[in-house]
Parts: sequence; structure tokens; C-alpha cells
Amino acid sequence: MDAVVMKQIVKQYPLVTAVDHADFCVEKGEIHSLLGENGAGKSTLMKILYGMTRPDEGEIWINGTKQAVKDPYHAIQLGIGMVHQHFMLAQVMTVTENIVVGSEPVKGIRFDYKTAVKKVGEMIDQYGFHISPTAKVSDLSVGEQQRVEILKALYRGADILILDEPTAVLTPQEVGELFRVMQKLKSEGKSIVIITHKLKETMEIADRISVLRDGRMVKQGLSLEGLGTSDLAKLMVGRDVDLAIVRENTGIGEACLKISDLTLLDRNQKKVLDHINITVHKGEIYGIAGIEGNGQTELIETLTGLRKPEEGSITKGKETIDGDAKHFLRNGVGHIPEDRMTRGLIMDMSIEENIILGYHQNSRFSDKGLLKIKDIQAYSEKMSDTYKIKSSGTKALVRSLSGGNQQKVVIARVFSEDPDIIIVAQPTRGVDVGAMEYIHNKLLDLRDEGKAILLISADLDEVRCLSDRIGVIYDGKIEKEFRAGQASETELGLWMTGGGRGEEGKQVET
Amino acid sequence: MDFLHSLDSILVSTIVMSIPLVFAAVGGVFSVRSGIMALGLESMMMVGAFFGVAGSYFFHNAWIGFLCGMAGGMLIGILHGLLSVRYKVNQVISGIGLNLLALAATTLLMQLLWNNRGNSPQVASVQTTAGFLLGIPMVGPILGKLSVNAYIMALMVLVSWFALFKTRFGLRLRMVGENPKAAATMGIRVHKIKYIAVLICGMLAGFGGAFLSLNHMDMFVRDMTAGRGYIAVAVAILSRYNPAGVIVCALLFGFCDALQIYFQGGAVPTQLIQMLPYLVTLLVLTIGVKHIKAPEGVGKYDDE
Amino acid sequence: MRREQKKQKIPGPFEINGVMLPIVSLILAIMISGIIMAVCGYNPFEAFGAIFAGAFQSKSGLAQTLTQATPLIFTGLAFTLAKKTTLINLGVEGQLLFGAMTAAILGNLDLGLPVILHLPLTLILGMAAGGIFAAFVGVLKIKFGSNEVIATIMLNEIAKLFCSYLVNGPLKAEGAVSQTEKVLPTAMLPRIIAKYQLTFAIVLAVLACVAVKFFMERTVKGYEIRCVGMGSKAAETAGIDVGKMMVTAMFISGAIAGLAGACHVTGVDRRYIEGFSPGYGFDGIAVAALAGENPVGVIFAGVIFGALRSGAMVLNRTTSIPTDFINVIQALVVILVAAPLLVKEILMAGRRKNGFFT
Repeated sequence: MDAVVMKQIVKQYPLVTAVDHADFCVEKGEIHSLLGENGAGKSTLMKILYGMTRPDEGEIWINGTKQAVKDPYHAIQLGIGMVHQHFMLAQVMTVTENIVVGSEPVKGIRFDYKTAVKKVGEMIDQYGFHISPTAKVSDLSVGEQQRVEILKALYRGADILILDEPTAVLTPQEVGELFRVMQKLKSEGKSIVIITHKLKETMEIADRISVLRDGRMVKQGLSLEGLGTSDLAKLMVGRDVDLAIVRENTGIGEACLKISDLTLLDRNQKKVLDHINITVHKGEIYGIAGIEGNGQTELIETLTGLRKPEEGSITKGKETIDGDAKHFLRNGVGHIPEDRMTRGLIMDMSIEENIILGYHQNSRFSDKGLLKIKDIQAYSEKMSDTYKIKSSGTKALVRSLSGGNQQKVVIARVFSEDPDIIIVAQPTRGVDVGAMEYIHNKLLDLRDEGKAILLISADLDEVRCLSDRIGVIYDGKIEKEFRAGQASETELGLWMTGGGRGEEGKQVET
Repeated sequence: MDFLHSLDSILVSTIVMSIPLVFAAVGGVFSVRSGIMALGLESMMMVGAFFGVAGSYFFHNAWIGFLCGMAGGMLIGILHGLLSVRYKVNQVISGIGLNLLALAATTLLMQLLWNNRGNSPQVASVQTTAGFLLGIPMVGPILGKLSVNAYIMALMVLVSWFALFKTRFGLRLRMVGENPKAAATMGIRVHKIKYIAVLICGMLAGFGGAFLSLNHMDMFVRDMTAGRGYIAVAVAILSRYNPAGVIVCALLFGFCDALQIYFQGGAVPTQLIQMLPYLVTLLVLTIGVKHIKAPEGVGKYDDE
Repeated sequence: MRREQKKQKIPGPFEINGVMLPIVSLILAIMISGIIMAVCGYNPFEAFGAIFAGAFQSKSGLAQTLTQATPLIFTGLAFTLAKKTTLINLGVEGQLLFGAMTAAILGNLDLGLPVILHLPLTLILGMAAGGIFAAFVGVLKIKFGSNEVIATIMLNEIAKLFCSYLVNGPLKAEGAVSQTEKVLPTAMLPRIIAKYQLTFAIVLAVLACVAVKFFMERTVKGYEIRCVGMGSKAAETAGIDVGKMMVTAMFISGAIAGLAGACHVTGVDRRYIEGFSPGYGFDGIAVAALAGENPVGVIFAGVIFGALRSGAMVLNRTTSIPTDFINVIQALVVILVAAPLLVKEILMAGRRKNGFFT
């Protein structure tokens, strides 16, 4: 008997059909990978299963019974648990409180915290999770928070577990740990759906796969036997794709961006950046690899003038750059922010208003304190053509664009100003494969034009395939530098978790 | 008048003056902890004060007046709840809108009921003091002069603290306030909890308002709360959204009010002395509250 | 049934946006207040008929309408401008009082200046007083993270008490009334028609709206203010000084409020009279809401509320309907404009399917 059967599911949104007559079926005790690009409808389909949205058409059968899943609570009662990509935890509350709330043990009218802690502690031990049941969630690492999420589902007796992009935030080592837990759950007879667009991981963990493309299920319940990653990629995108763009670097020039002894303290006087030394040359992409929260955000903010370092200097060629963000922009430091929705763009402003943002005092766009409305419009139209920004016009609000087109607005703004140095953070987060290819090619074009590019990305594959050199950041320090092609994924992962030094020591010994 | 001699009367009025603030601020704590901003406290207090007087006027009984005041506060509370939960209104605006509505409506009603725009007629008020405590040495003269409401207040704060931090309801309410989406997926009826929270908030703030009109003045005057609701919001913030902390913070403001009353008629012009509570609030806002964080989910909705 | 629910989400005839929402909200608010009037035993149709006639049908009514509209346009504009940087300036009332008091003091100073200098100086210093008072709140907000809503309310009370102290103490004119001496003729804002209270302040108010509109849409500073309001982090990343822009916007907002007070003192009352403002500062919130926070819309919204007010005053003379129901309408407009979902639901009443509290 199948654990989950979804038949002919349709979900229509005002402008798009998110899911279009999709069938989906999960067997008991299997790990099933649901593949698809961003926006293919994976999350929507799973949200329907979990009762977060209602389908317009179609049937859902859970363990052989037809069900209309009303809401997540109903889903939980049916034995379905979901671990969301963005964790649903109350940061200031404890692990136990987060796990038991909604089905708490009580003693009289009091909430029986002691019993709850004991129960949660037992579960933590059972799965070997190594977290304290009384720790505050805000004190846990991302990987640990994910475990709390998994425990939340298991505490409620889930036997169908949906994991939404669970590896996106994890190091290779943590991914291995997660896969171990998944195998253990599978051996207990639980069914697991893993939503992902990462093909290697799918090959490693999944028993069967289903592939969504543009809301339609193009392959359902396919066994992985005899398939390779390129076959999967083709299924996902619908055409042959070049997953790893490789372009030989022809000429690395002189040093351009020089970061010396950069140190930054946080509010509690803790070092969030600890004597960072990086040199990026003209015509070079320098990638920063690391787990999120190890100082990347602070590094970006310091390198773009948003924060002032306690120590150290940033120089471009021979001149020192300091001061505020305006000063950095004027001195030819371009910035593609990691969070395009809040830092990169103003969502409720038009393309025109966004494309001049930061450069609006440039004489091309304003004169004597007045905006040159006509020039700005003409410029926006030109940029829309050059960068292939798909929109209903340059007066369209940025909010109405797709993720990829939004990112193109940011890129058009920065690249066309011809900066010598570009700080690029998470350039392809949340964009589709087409836009990703486009953005990667653009970055390589700029490199070949002789720009110095610092690339910060949580996507290790992206860092590895674009960078000429890679620096691994851990706990605010650059732990190790590699040349392109020198570092294996495991090696990088080790350094990213701060475990590199020990290993290196061992290697020297033997 | 000798200052030391009047110390106990200042202490008594400190406590009395802080009572409305404590009630309203604890109400605000429930509201904010469930994720709904409390800028509407002013309106709940004002309607509470008005309904209190109206109740006492029609039933000739101040305690029925208090019940009416609580009902009035709850009416505004549920309105605020509907606007912020069901209609997803920006909670700052809905709070301000309700405050404007309360001022306009009470002024209008005063004219319709009593044909007077400035104040209501005098009504039966509560002057019950805990006189039996007068005999206790040292503190007796203070405890005995306090209104019974001071003791109701202490009990209310204790119950509120217990409910928020020791019961299942409190845990769920706090979870709703921190992360409504998470709470919803755990089967918690987020909306129900929020409505309960705003009702509690309205009830307590309404009681606080009724105390203003029925204990301090025994009548309702236009714009009776005069910004006290906003001070209560400041008290709630300063207490770090904890009923126990509310008492301490509210006493500070009550003390300012008491001093203001004490100094009235002295050498310093009345208007300048009356500024004291407002100046203190302003000061607290500038030095005390920067690092106090409201629950994560304040102003957010569970289906966003 | 699901089909129907789905349809409601798709933009259709029931989508209320843009200019429609404020207008529908106003109509609903008037209807609600009409129901209240009917309950109280008045005929709402007669009442609103009388209001309309009173506000527009005679020269004096029209003059009164515009006189009433003047402070509302100013305060509505002041509120709108601060809101552009997401700040809620509830302190318009206090800033207006400070502007008025400053103008009353300046207007009484015999500087030997001609009207062409004395009057502008009086108005400008009134603006400066309001502006500085408001900018102070902006500074508190960015330096200490003080909640500007509470801070402005506190400052309102402080301003009210301080002005009350002045007008009852050192600046009190002879007589029983709490008021200052009449301003000098050189500091009097001329009236458009001698026998009515309508002054050239209405022209200033309209010009201010147009100027603000131009400033916001065409100038670099206005663009930066909008950026701060719509995405403060993106603005910061773009090298815009967010704090400075907030303080700037608050200053301009307060200056407009101060001008409202100064115009009232130099034009209408010709002196500071205690309690002259029935809460103009708060009326501005409703005006801004009805205007959809559009500076030019503020002119129309101000005139509409001004008309309601002047008509209600006429009505009040003939019947016993209190003018305070205008305030109820205003408060309802503030709430309804902020609640498009509610407006939509009222319009579609009866078609509701799901439970009310779910």
C-alpha cells in the first residue's frame, strides 16, 4: 500500500498555474526525491499535501484513505510532518517548548515543563542529535535547528516526512549526518519526501524520483537505476544544460582589491571578522566558501561601507577606501547584495527607480538636485534590452518581476556603472536555471574584462565552478586558501566547519 | 505643608495613581505577547472610563459601572482584534484609528446622553478603602488608605503572570506571538488565541479606564485618559512584557502623578508640574528601551 | 464552491484600489454615521442635505468651508510627508501649537518692520518652531530607537501644557480669557474677503501641497526620502543616509504643521487663544488617509472634511445635532482606508461563506 497518493492535483494562482494535473505517489518506507527547478511547483505540491494550501482539483489518499487535508494540524494528525526550508521556530523559546507546544503535557492547570524536557531528551538521545532540550533555539546552529524541526514532526508521531530543500543550509558533513538520520527513519518504516534541486544528493539518498517542470509532473516514481546527473538535469530543465560553465582564465592582472587585517567587533565585543587578509587581482574571481553566519554578511557590509571595521584597511590599487556606502559606490566598488529583496531592491518601486538606486546623484540621472525623468526612462529601456529584463514596461513595480528578472535589474544597475571591483553575494539565489546560466556567464565576461570580483555564495558548487581562488571562512577568519580545482568538496567542507587545522596537523604527522 | 508628614499620602496616591496604568499595561502585555500591538490601549481605557460612568449613572452602582467599563474595553478590544487579525490592518494605524474613534464617540455620546460636551454628571463612585488594615503598625496607615482596587490589582498581576508563564495557555499564546505560522502548523488555533488576548487586553484596560473615572473623579470628562494609554504602552515595553515588571514601572509613573498632585497649588505653575509624567515617559523612551525586543511575530500574520 | 473562492482572489470588479478605496471608505463612514444619527432620532438625509447646503450654497458657507479646510490641508500634508519615511507623526498637533505660539510672540514684537518682512518672518519662525520640535522626535527615533508614536503623543501633551502655561501666565493679555495680545497689523495675514475669516493661508496651503508633490517626485532628496520609506535597507545600501532623511522629513512635516498654527494665529484669531485647535493635528490623519497619502489629494480631502465641518456648524445652529459626529466620520475613514479587506467585505455583505472569527 502506498503511503501517499496524489491524483490529478491542480492549483491555480491568479497569474500562473502552479500545479497542473500532477500525480504523485510515495511508497511506504522509501526515500522519494521530488526534483524540479525553482518555481516548478515542488513546494506548492507539498504544501497541498501538508494542508497549507487547498488544491483546486484533485484527490489525496493517505495510507489508502481518501482525505481532504484541511490544514497542517489535520496533516499532522494524519501522520504527515514537514520540515520547512525557512524554519518555523520561536527563537527566544527553548528546544523543548518549541517541540511540545500544541501537544504539551500538563499537570493540573500548569504546563508540565519537567516531563516535557524528559520526553524530548529521550528523543534527542534516540536519534543521536546532541542538542540540549533546554537550550534556547537562538543559540543553536542552523543544522541543529533543523534537527529541532525534525523532532517536532517525530514528536507528533509523523510517519510521512516532507523535507523542503533540507541541505541548502548545511555543510557537506552535516548533509552526511542528515542522510544518516534519514536512513535510520527509513529503516523504522517511515516514508520520506525530499524536495531538492540538487542532483548529486538525489543520486546519493533517493530510492525513487519524481520530476516537476512548470507545474507538470514529467516523470513520476522513476527508479534511479541507470541514470546519471545529466539525465536528471535534462528531465528537470527540458533541454540539455551546461551545469558547470568552465571558461579558462586567460589573464590575471595586478592586485586590485586588497583587504588587510580587517577586524570587526559585534555589539558584545566579539570578533565577527578576525584579521581578514584577501587580495583580489584584476581579472580574477575570488570565491568565499563557508557556512552562513561565519562572518560573510559582515564581510560584505564592511567591504561596501555599510559597517566600519575596528581595524584594518581596504585599498583599491594604491588608494585606501573608507567612509560610508556612498563613498564606496563612488570609488568604483560595485555591490550585488546577498538579500536582493531587502538590500538590493525596493520592491514597491518601479524598474526605473530601482535601476538608478545608489547612482541617482550621477550627472546622467540628476542635475542640480532634480531628477532627469526622461533620461532615466530612456536608460531603463536600454538596460531592459541589454540585460533581457522581462517586464510589462520600465514603470512596472519590481515586485511584479520573477526572481531572475529582479536579479537582472540589480546586475544591470551595477555592471553598467563599470566598477573596478564588484562584491557579489548569492548572485543566483532563488533564480531559475536560465537566469543562472546568464548571470554566471556575465560574471565570467566581467572577469575577462579585467574586473576584480569577490564572490560570496552559500552554494558551494557555484563557488567552485566560478572562482579562480577560494578562501574558506570560518568563525570570522579566512582559514585556508585554495587555487581553483585544488580543493575537493570534502576538503572544503572540513575547513568550513573549522576541522581543517586538525586534519592538516594529522597529515603532517603521518 | 511638611513634606515628610505627607510622605505617606504621597505613597498612597502613588499606588492609587499607578492602578489604571498597571491594568492597562498588563492588558497590553497580553496583546503584544500574542503578536498584536497595543497602541489602541488609549481607546480601551477611554471607552472603559466612559462606560464605567454610564453604567454607574444608569444603575446607581459603581461596581456595575466597573463591569460596564470592562465590557466597553472588551468591545474595543474585539474591534482591534478583528481589524488586525481578520482584516490584516496595519496595527499602528488601527490602534490610532480606534483612539480617534473613541475620543470622537465618547464626546458625541456625552452630548447625546447628558447634553454636555465637557463632562458627565457626577455618579456613584467607589471609595471603599481597606480600612480594617489601618491597625497594622508601620504600614497600616498606608495599606488601610488604599482602595480595595489596589488589592484587586495585586491579585490580577499575580494571576496574569502565572497564566502567561506557567500554563499551557500562556505557552501557546507566547508561541503565537513569536511565530504565528509555526504555532498554526502545530495545531494551535492562532486566531482564537489572539482574540482571547485582545479580549483580556480590553477587559483589563477597560477596568483601568473605569478606575480613572469612578475612583479618581467620579465623573467622565472629555479626553479623560489624555495620553495615559500611550504611557501604558511605554510601561508595557519597559517591563519587557512581563506583568511582574509592569508593577515596578507603573509605580514610577504613579509616583510622578502623585508628585504632580502634591505640588499643585504651590509656587510652580500647575501646567509645568503636570508635564512631569509626560517628560518621564519621554525620558524612559530615550534611555530605557532601545534593546527591548518585542516578540518576533508582532504585526505579522500566520498566513503570510 | 472552491471555484468561487478562487474567483474572489482574481482581480475583478470587486478589487478596490487606488482612488476608489478612500472614496468608498468615506461613503461608508458617512453612511455609518447616518445610521447613528437615525438611531438618535435625527433624519440623516435632512441632516446631510443641510450640511451640503450650508457648506456650498452661500458665499459665506463657501468661505467657511475653505477656512475650515485650510488647517486640515496643512496637517494632512504634514502627516502624509512624515509617513513617506514610514514615520507616524502624531505630533502634528503639538507642532501646530508651537508654531502658533511662536507666531503669536513674534507677531507682537514691534520690530519696526514693514508687513512685507514682518509677516513672512513670523510665519517662517512659526514653521521653524514646529520643524525643530518634530525633528527632535526624528532624532530620538534614530539615536535611541524611541517609538515615535508614543514620543509624539507625550510631546503633544507637553506642548499643550507649556503653551497653556504661557497663555495663562507671562503672555496673558488683560481680561478673563486665556489669550495673548493681538498681533501687530504688520504681522496679520490678509483676508481674501474682508468680512469672512478666509485668509490667504488657503493659497499657501495649496501651494505647499503642490510643492511637496514636486519635491517628492522630481528632486533627488524627495526620491531619497521615498527610498527610505519603501525600503530602508536598500536605501542604506545605496549610500542614502536613512537617519538624516527621516529627520529631514520630520522637519518638513513639523514645519508645515507649524505653518498651520502660524497662519491661524496671524490670520483667523490674530492672537493665540487657549484651546483654539479642536485637534487639527489629529484631523490631519483622516485627511491623509482620505487623500491616499497623495500630496495633491490632500487638497481635495481637506476641502471635503472642511465642507463637512462648516456644514455641520450651520446644522448645529438650527438643530441639536452635535458637530462631533464629523470626528466620528473622520475616525471611521482612518480605519476603513487602512482596511481594504473590511471595505470589500461590507460591499459584498451576504456573499460571505466562511465563519466570521476564523
